[in-house]
Amino acid sequence: MRTAVQRFRLTLTPQRVLAVMFLIVLAYLVLVPLFVMLQETFTVHPMERFQIPGSMPGDLTTAHWERTFFGPDSYAFFYRPLINTLIVAVGLSLLALVIGGSLAWLVVRTNLPFKGLISNTAIIPYVMPSWTLALAWIALFKNQRLGGQRGIFESLTGVATPDWFAYGLFPIIITLALHYFPFGFMLIGGAIRNIDAQLEESAELLGAGRMTILRRIVFPLVLPAIFSTFLLTFSRGLGTFGTPHFLGGPVREFVLSTSLYANLIGQRPGIGYLAAVVMIALGVLVLYMDHRIIGARRSFVTISGKGARAGAVDLGRWRLPLGIGVLVFLFSVIAVPIGALAIDTVMLRPGQYSLENFTLHYWIGDAADRIGLATGEYGILRNSQLMGALGNTLQLASVVALICGVLGVLIGYTVVRLRGTVIAKLLDQLSFLPYLMPSIALGSIFLALFAVSRGPIPSLYGTFWLLMIACVVSYLPYAVKAGIGAMMQIGPELEEAAIMAGASWWTRMRRIIFPVQKSSYFSGMLLPFISVTRELSLLILLVTPATQLAATITLRYTDRGWYPYTNGMVLLLIVIVISATMLSRRLMKTDLAKGLGG
Amino acid sequence: MRNRRSIHRPWLVALATCVALAGGQALADEDWAAIEAAALDEGNLTVYSTTSRTVTAAEAFQAMTGIQVEVVRLGEQDLIERAYQEGRAGVRNVDMIVVEDWPAAKELLANTGYFVNYVPPNAAERFEPRYQDPLVLGFINRIFGFNTEKHDTDPFTNVWELTMPEYSGRVMIRDVGITGEHQNAFTEWIRRSDEIEAAYTELTGEPLEMTEPNAGLEWIRRFLQNDPIIMTSDTRIGEAVGARGQSDPPYGMFYVFSKHRDIPTLDLAIRESHAMTPTLGYYFPIVLQLSANARNPNAAKLFMEYLTTIEGFGPWADSPGVYTPNPDQVPFEGDMPWAWWEERLWGYDIDFAVQHRGQVLDTWLRYAQR
Repeated sequence: MRTAVQRFRLTLTPQRVLAVMFLIVLAYLVLVPLFVMLQETFTVHPMERFQIPGSMPGDLTTAHWERTFFGPDSYAFFYRPLINTLIVAVGLSLLALVIGGSLAWLVVRTNLPFKGLISNTAIIPYVMPSWTLALAWIALFKNQRLGGQRGIFESLTGVATPDWFAYGLFPIIITLALHYFPFGFMLIGGAIRNIDAQLEESAELLGAGRMTILRRIVFPLVLPAIFSTFLLTFSRGLGTFGTPHFLGGPVREFVLSTSLYANLIGQRPGIGYLAAVVMIALGVLVLYMDHRIIGARRSFVTISGKGARAGAVDLGRWRLPLGIGVLVFLFSVIAVPIGALAIDTVMLRPGQYSLENFTLHYWIGDAADRIGLATGEYGILRNSQLMGALGNTLQLASVVALICGVLGVLIGYTVVRLRGTVIAKLLDQLSFLPYLMPSIALGSIFLALFAVSRGPIPSLYGTFWLLMIACVVSYLPYAVKAGIGAMMQIGPELEEAAIMAGASWWTRMRRIIFPVQKSSYFSGMLLPFISVTRELSLLILLVTPATQLAATITLRYTDRGWYPYTNGMVLLLIVIVISATMLSRRLMKTDLAKGLGG
Repeated sequence: MRNRRSIHRPWLVALATCVALAGGQALADEDWAAIEAAALDEGNLTVYSTTSRTVTAAEAFQAMTGIQVEVVRLGEQDLIERAYQEGRAGVRNVDMIVVEDWPAAKELLANTGYFVNYVPPNAAERFEPRYQDPLVLGFINRIFGFNTEKHDTDPFTNVWELTMPEYSGRVMIRDVGITGEHQNAFTEWIRRSDEIEAAYTELTGEPLEMTEPNAGLEWIRRFLQNDPIIMTSDTRIGEAVGARGQSDPPYGMFYVFSKHRDIPTLDLAIRESHAMTPTLGYYFPIVLQLSANARNPNAAKLFMEYLTTIEGFGPWADSPGVYTPNPDQVPFEGDMPWAWWEERLWGYDIDFAVQHRGQVLDTWLRYAQR
């Protein structure tokens, strides 16, 4: 008979210890901010008290909720922007699915030419900041309504674009979908690749037609990936602010994030955070639907693996035109925006595109007060502050990627090994939650949370640590998804064999779990890396002079209209990220698709 | 030694607060030479600023004094939020702020005691008393502008014209929702709504029929229902209004006049309105405040002193539309002096703005949506 102590030690497996540890840490870093946010929506803030008769700052109130959901203006304040938000989020997700899915099918399952080039470049739109596409859209398609120089399309064709095409929900959906379709490409591509060709072959032998095979076999197997893509893009569509505001403003079509920003700037955080709470709730709803519909089926994908690859579909005479078409598409969504950015950095006087106006002044020039925009700043490459900030960004991005990677493996291991238990579910969902929180709210709450020492946690204010923690929490969802995806594919037999051979947990991790899926973990690190390099709203409240980052320091150029500097920095970041992606592909055989758990 | 100093600090802070509240003249007693010496001793300074020109001024100050200045550039709301959270947590990071949106900053940073006013000797001597508390670094103009290729003279003389069919779909304004200063400025249209109402009668000869509680908010409603173009940046408004070769150029409302600095580099055809009534636009102060909890209070005071001089204000004086209260300022070429503008532009009442800007934002959000 076992003693109580022995029993206790038996239940104390590494995965359980890890699970409890992660739960505690995540609860503090994820649930507490969520709770604070919710609390704020029931609190009277200093500048809100004037519209809530008889209230004092700090009072408990339901006024924000009443006003938003039931007040006489709730349609204008909330429901109308909500409808627009849903249109954008659903529209962009569907479009991203169609584009990403078709590209994935063409690359994985057909004899399309230029496959290598296409799969290498198809992820670049996500590497670029999403507003580059919005800027390019306006430059191309704006009409007289927006004044200024004529749009390129109108200059070339003489045809003025209609307002609904140039501004508002339509271009918001298009530009965001062009930014996020790589998610669909990566995830669905991964899923199609994993389908065991024997399944299709058997069906064919049994006399099933091509449509039946697609409908009964391929589609169900790809469905989880479709839902994952939808979840990821939909959630992003809910919270994004810059692109919708820039493209929607000219025709006054606003989304929910406008309410968040306007009320924060109006110093009414109670009302503002309510919009954030709604965004999170919608995200959770989709997450829940994903779990309900897909939950049981997800395991399909994982049991497949090393089956035979299906024969490529022959595109026949469409082969070359389609290949060229895809390349032209990718070229226009990548090269055009990047080119538009780049050309502004080498034009001495902005907007005058001629050869004699060409200059490298903004890249390598002296701090001159009489040339071009007369900025009095050294060129980007000679500017020690800019280069220092770029260094900080790289350092932060690398450290965050590394930590996310390790945590992704460990959390993934824990979740998969404890699969089916409440603890695993909790851990899985808790680590995804930060993905749904608008980063501007998260940044502000982290500032409040870590500015003072609380219990055993010292004040981290002004330290690199705080930036790191904020980023790790924020981008953990990517790494955990990768970790879980990778772990699912490792059967427990490997570890069981090792246990029998007397290997310790540490040895098992080091010798089996990690090496087997090495490339997946590294892929899980790439997305956090990419995201950190361009993060602004999460970090703006947390950076200090010593921890100045590339994205935050360029603000000072943006607000003076010195776009050559802003654009130049963005270009440098794009180049760095693309090099990092290519390098890791070479060295670690990483695949961004695996970074999303595909 | 160290301990004793920190024990005495709160007492000193309390004293400084009292002194500041008592106004500028009480500070005449302080020993400026001692402050200068202490500032050089401190040798460091951290500034939060909404304007990047502070960076340029800080570099010159650093070259002159050897004091290392770190300037953190933040948006208006970010700056207030951050300074407020730091104040609440007792974090001693920032020594002074260069801040816009003073109504919000006053409510959250000054009234809470996290920041105090300080009047350096030069300002005490040269600035008019009404610019001393809070200490005003400078004023910024936001104006109405038009394309000079289309119009030789001012096309509009009355703000109500912008709500008429002639200007439908042609007026650009930075989103009031994301511009705290616009929200403040429109509170003045509420406070002086009788003047706004009179302007309507002057233009149309008829009394104003309102669905909103006052003429200021009525104007906002009618303006928004006249299909304006909501923009995200003043730079883009200036370029859109001023670009050459347009048959039907838009008009700019409430964009910063300092964008006219780019007229030669961007070859713009744009001019500010001198005829609009009852106001040519609005002005707002950039305010300097000292942290009540500063690590380097003396360095901050020295930097404030520098910023109130003509030399220290240099980075701001390189464009029209920015004015120091220092009477020695020579207007930017082609611009009018501050006194001229102050007579023709509305500012806003700080306390009234704090209390009423929520109404402005609500009216805006109610009708902005198409």
